[in-house]
Amino acid sequence: MISIRNLHKSFGKVEVLRGVNIEVAQGEVVVIVGPSGSGKSTVLRCINKLEEPTSGTILVDNFDIMDKSTDINMVRTEATMVFQHFNLFPHMTVLENVTLGPMKVRGMGRQDAQKIGRSLLAKVGLADKDSNYPDQLSGGQKQRVAIARALALQPKAILFDEPTSALDPELVGEVLEVMKQLAVEGMTMVVVTHEMGFAQEVADRVLFIDEGVVQVDKPPREFFTNPEHPRLKDFLGRVVC
Amino acid sequence: MAFNFEPAVIVESIPQLLKGAELTIYLTVGGLFFGFILGALFGLMKLSPSWPVRKIAGFYIETIRGTPMLVQAMFLYFGLPMAFGFRLPAMVAGVIIIAVNSGAYIAEIVRGAVQSINTGQMEAGRSIGLNALQTMRYIIWPQAFRRMLPPLGNQFIISLKDTSLLMIIGVGELLRTGDEIVAVNFRAFEVYLACGLIYLTMTMSIAKVLKIVEKRMKIEGR
Ligand SMILES: Nc1ncnc2c1ncn2[C@@H]1O[C@H](COP(=O)(O)OP(=O)(O)OP(=O)(O)O)[C@@H](O)[C@H]1O
Ligand SMILES: [Mg+2]
Repeated sequence: MISIRNLHKSFGKVEVLRGVNIEVAQGEVVVIVGPSGSGKSTVLRCINKLEEPTSGTILVDNFDIMDKSTDINMVRTEATMVFQHFNLFPHMTVLENVTLGPMKVRGMGRQDAQKIGRSLLAKVGLADKDSNYPDQLSGGQKQRVAIARALALQPKAILFDEPTSALDPELVGEVLEVMKQLAVEGMTMVVVTHEMGFAQEVADRVLFIDEGVVQVDKPPREFFTNPEHPRLKDFLGRVVC
Repeated sequence: MAFNFEPAVIVESIPQLLKGAELTIYLTVGGLFFGFILGALFGLMKLSPSWPVRKIAGFYIETIRGTPMLVQAMFLYFGLPMAFGFRLPAMVAGVIIIAVNSGAYIAEIVRGAVQSINTGQMEAGRSIGLNALQTMRYIIWPQAFRRMLPPLGNQFIISLKDTSLLMIIGVGELLRTGDEIVAVNFRAFEVYLACGLIYLTMTMSIAKVLKIVEKRMKIEGR
């Protein structure tokens, strides 16, 4: 589904990614962890081409995103992003946030888009909020709207960049619950998070990124119970499991 | 000889002055209409990834902001005909001057407002598959436009006052009308006072309307 090969990314002289390789199969949930500044967000942003990779290959649904002939807007809808700070459109109602993509990108009619939008809002538990504006919602509700907005595109994969990091602790659960549901339904997901519980419970594989490369790539059981890698041991020691 | 204030002169000259004020409004509204189009265009060009496009916009903005409007008006109305042998009607020249002049200031308003929108908005738009133009149109612009309103209102008032400079090219707007009345009755005190009061009434009305519009915008969208 997503295939990252030998991805390099530099900001000016600083090389943040130094040959990242990640394969994500259809329906797989891959969790990425790593210290702050290790380049986790950069990997996701490269998949979405919000950052231009310096070198390497990224295939999304077999489309080479570095290839000039690839319709990048289409690829972005196939692997869309959920952001740490939600990035909802504040001038639109919740329903409009969700229907914008289907209408403008997928060319869907308003009626159909709203029907899908409403059902997705119901799915994330916000059926009654469709005509509210984003700043009338709590952080957890906002992030669930953002997930509905992503789902409305009927993507093949969703990239989550620390979706719960900006939330008050008591609101984290409701978002993780929705994400678990998606995982159960077979959505392909790449999740950058510090929620180790989520990784243990939901992930098919957990990746540890450090010093610009994937240091560890293992199923969660092994990843957490037997962290041989010294820096991973150190990292896991510092985060609460 | 003692000066004696004659309020009756003000009352008498009002009907004629209001005719001039009507032209003032046409110049302002017409000028700002095109000024906004110019401003939006050059403001967005200033944000273009392309260096030459940015430079062209910068050249326009700097040139207009760096020269007095009076000079621009006299150049357009008296200067250019020397070179091209063709003079625009004064009213048309007036609208052009207001448009070109306000356009440069509005370009900066537009640029600032668009830049003030969080980059996350652009990223979110792009990540749901909108192209750059669609993201601008549906996501950035509507938010930026709200932020433009207060400075645009300010520009409205400035441009309205600036139209008085157009008397120099013979546009029969408010101040020119007052000038012509004074040439006949020599009551400069009363007539220019009346002009001032009419300008003040117009600018204060604009300010009032803008307050209402801004308030409504705040309630409708966030
Ligand atoms: N646009 C940019 N320009 C310059 N440097 C950048 C840019 N974006 C990221 N970086 C740098 O790249 C490195 C990796 O950043 P990235 O955001 O990918 O880390 P991260 O693993 O997501 O960290 P965090 O856990 O704090 O979110 C950091 O050192 C950061 O300062
Ligand atoms: Mg990050």
